[in-house]
Amino acid sequence: MSLLAARLTPLYVSENHMTSVFHQQGSRPPVRGHLLYVSISVTLTTHNVQLWFVFPCPEKDVNGDTLWVWCFPSVASDLRKVLLSKCCLTQDARDFHTFVFGQFCRTWYYITTVEVQEPTALNKVTHFSIVVTAKDFNPEKYAALSRILCRMYIKHGSPVKMMEAYVTVLTKGMCQSDENGSFLIKDYDVRKAYLAGSVKDVVSQFGMETIILYTALMLKKRIIVHHPRIEALLEFTRVLPTLTWHRKDWSILHPYVHLSDPELEDLKKCPGYVAGFVDPEVSNRLDLFDVYVNLPDGVITVSQSAKESMAMGKLHKDIGHLIVQSAEDAERSDSQVIKDISVKTKEILANLMALADKCEDSKITLEGLKQHHFPPATENFLFHLAAAEQLLRI
Amino acid sequence: MEEVDKILIHALKQVGTEVSEDTASVKHLTGELIVEAVARCIRVIDPGLGSPLPTSLPPGMSARFRVGTSLAQACQDIGYKGEIGYQTFLYSNEPEIRSLLMFLVEKLPRERAEASDQPTGKSVVLQRAVAAAIKAQLAVPWLPPNCRLPLHAETQSPVALHCFHAQPLSLPHCSKGPGKDPLREVQDYQREILPPVTAQPSHHASVVAYILEQHAAELSAAQEWDNEWNSQGLLSRLTPQEYRSRKLIRLRKRVEEQLHSAALPSAEGDFGPRSTSDLSDLLQAFRGSTPSDHILAKGSNFTHTQKFTFTQQPAAAVTGPSVPAGHQSESDVQLRQQEEQLSLQQQFQHLCSEFEELAADMKHMRVTNAQVLDELKQRELGNSENEEKMQLKKKTIDLLPDADNNLLKLQALVEASANRVVNLASQWEKHRAPLIDEHRRLKEICSNQDLESSRKLSEMKSLHDKIRVSTEEAKRKEEIYKQLVTELENLPQDASRSAYTQRILEIVNNIQKQKEEITKILSDTKELQKEINSLTGKLDRTFAVTDELVFKDAKKDESVRKSYKYLAALHENCNQLIQTIEDTGTILREIRDLEEQAMLMLPSVTSHQ
Repeated sequence: MSLLAARLTPLYVSENHMTSVFHQQGSRPPVRGHLLYVSISVTLTTHNVQLWFVFPCPEKDVNGDTLWVWCFPSVASDLRKVLLSKCCLTQDARDFHTFVFGQFCRTWYYITTVEVQEPTALNKVTHFSIVVTAKDFNPEKYAALSRILCRMYIKHGSPVKMMEAYVTVLTKGMCQSDENGSFLIKDYDVRKAYLAGSVKDVVSQFGMETIILYTALMLKKRIIVHHPRIEALLEFTRVLPTLTWHRKDWSILHPYVHLSDPELEDLKKCPGYVAGFVDPEVSNRLDLFDVYVNLPDGVITVSQSAKESMAMGKLHKDIGHLIVQSAEDAERSDSQVIKDISVKTKEILANLMALADKCEDSKITLEGLKQHHFPPATENFLFHLAAAEQLLRI
Repeated sequence: MEEVDKILIHALKQVGTEVSEDTASVKHLTGELIVEAVARCIRVIDPGLGSPLPTSLPPGMSARFRVGTSLAQACQDIGYKGEIGYQTFLYSNEPEIRSLLMFLVEKLPRERAEASDQPTGKSVVLQRAVAAAIKAQLAVPWLPPNCRLPLHAETQSPVALHCFHAQPLSLPHCSKGPGKDPLREVQDYQREILPPVTAQPSHHASVVAYILEQHAAELSAAQEWDNEWNSQGLLSRLTPQEYRSRKLIRLRKRVEEQLHSAALPSAEGDFGPRSTSDLSDLLQAFRGSTPSDHILAKGSNFTHTQKFTFTQQPAAAVTGPSVPAGHQSESDVQLRQQEEQLSLQQQFQHLCSEFEELAADMKHMRVTNAQVLDELKQRELGNSENEEKMQLKKKTIDLLPDADNNLLKLQALVEASANRVVNLASQWEKHRAPLIDEHRRLKEICSNQDLESSRKLSEMKSLHDKIRVSTEEAKRKEEIYKQLVTELENLPQDASRSAYTQRILEIVNNIQKQKEEITKILSDTKELQKEINSLTGKLDRTFAVTDELVFKDAKKDESVRKSYKYLAALHENCNQLIQTIEDTGTILREIRDLEEQAMLMLPSVTSHQ
């Protein structure tokens, strides 16, 4: 028992990590993602959810004061700095973003900002933001949670009620919301989050050039997307990892990055990423990307250093055609398009595995590839793909 | 009085007198302090006068007397007009001391403002800002980790520490050779490809280490050169360039000798060109036999020139032995040349193929490196996740035996913790809300004060402007005044002003009188005219009445008719008389006018003649 007590004290004494134990009633549906099952009916989650508030004092509308209000558990100072920079209340620009999310140091953060309109229990507050951090990618879930928490805060004017709701979410996986009904974690499946974006839009904007994005993602290259509006950026970048559905890896996604040292350091630690920038200056940072996507103009550029490894041939043309055809078909839905792409990807990977099996210790070498006399672009692509899929002999 | 004293004491402290903090007025100064203060002031004011003066009173009475008189004398020499003597210092009283100190303090040379002396400019401003920032950071005391505030985070937390790892940087001005310009290719490279110093290190945090190392190396090289120059260079009485070139020649000779001695044994009987492996052997031999002479180990300039001479010498050594054998026949020479050419071509092709192999290897390495790093990262993440899972499972397994009970207990614990959290939250909120209100209130006060102060500032500014404008006005008026004063002085002095003023006053008086007379005359004339008018009117009326009366009776009576005729004639004659008088008057006026005109015409007529 004391062990347990020791384990649970981190609930309110803070370090960055928090584990909580909660009880699931009835039979459990199979939930994927970060929930594990153990034979006793206890579900464990490494669910790291933190809350902040920020709101300005409206006595001066010119220089509104922005204050940290609440923080549970605690937040490291560098993460705090990054979050402050992301929160639109601290920026000089007047644009107001309702919901923004991003990743920093393998932690996902979801920021909801609300403008306080009618006279409420909160006086002297014009805007406030709630930041929720978690280890998993699920914008819809945390947006819904934040909305409930925001409404609670507005209604009661004090964060204590919010804390209660949040603790119930942590411990029970659900909480009552203002409207009839409740918020249940299990309603928000991570697959739905992955599939929430629209691949068809991407393909309709870029046409055959989508193959460049596909190749870059398959070869784990660094893609940078620029758009002046953060919402468009978030929408576009979250779709890109669906092109490599077999990996289901959204940790490469950094949808909202600023050109600041700590964030760029963190970005450089990842070998391949999809990063979204609002700042147009990023196009000058040739050291940061292999592929640059200028979203408003619809232009994709490949940097000089990556041109050699991203050379494309007949194989790519075929894949490109497949993608475009599948997307243009009005009868097929987004998830079906993704499925088509992933089927083709699996085919290529199966071929690669077959090639690997022929070599000793099932690892591919360049000489082995050369023996098959592929056209040079295909050979190059397969070589780099083998490295990306860790099939290359070292 | 207190303020004067404060100023005096402050000035004395600046001069160097050790005045303790709580002496607030002159009367608290002891005799020794007074003597010390006066002596120091005199020293500052006039060093020649003040240096023999002691700063402390000696114990003996006669010595004290002497010191007092010398101090008094010195003060008088400086120009103190008041009464001063040995008694001022030995038996001091407050007002005398105060006036003496005031005099001395005023005599102290004014401190020049520091800022106006120092040069300004962007780099100096930047340097000063850097110095101020470093000073401020050094002034922050070290705190143990638990007590640290966020302001210490940048300088004291372990995150701020990085290991000191330095490698050489390439800077464009390194080749400070004997005045020749670097090659165009080198310049192009330096301009276009060489990354700036802050981008050269592999890790951003080690930029400081690199720069410190580079700077230290350059500094020590410069110092060594200075030392050498001051010790040996000046003795040789050459200019720096000559000294350097002589040193270069000396070193070159030494290198030549060494190479010759190393190359000669193998040069006999071998006419062909050297291959690269022989050259490296040569260099190896040379390096092994280098004497440890401290002159050779001097700064970077000389290592560079050494290297340059190095590459030339082996070529010279190589061609050396082959020269004596050049007296062979022409065909042999040609053959040898062809052989050389062939072997060089082979070498070149070999090098090319090696280069391609290396390029392919590099590419392969890069790709496999990426794969390995990727795998490593994934495995690390997987490891940490697995560790966590294992911990959790272990704990759960420990609880397994008594599953139901433990489950209930867990639930209860969870609920209790949740309640506790909420409780703490509400407590904190209670604590926080008044603090936030206080914060807001203070901010409001602060902003109000800001408004006030900015308003006052603008008022002050406007006042300053007004002052400026009025000073300019005053200056202008003064100038005008000066001008007029000089003009006045320059005017001829013979015509006295009083005469003019007298005349003017007289004229004014005259005019005044004339004006009075004129007004009188005018009023008289008006009266006369009025009388005339009334009389004329009366006359007319009387005549009309009389005329009627008489005419009425004139029809009947003869005498009345005659009187009527006389009346009419009288009236007529009187009218004529009046008319004549009036005409006379008019003519007289005309005469006067014409006379005036004639007077006016006279000068022009005379001038015309």
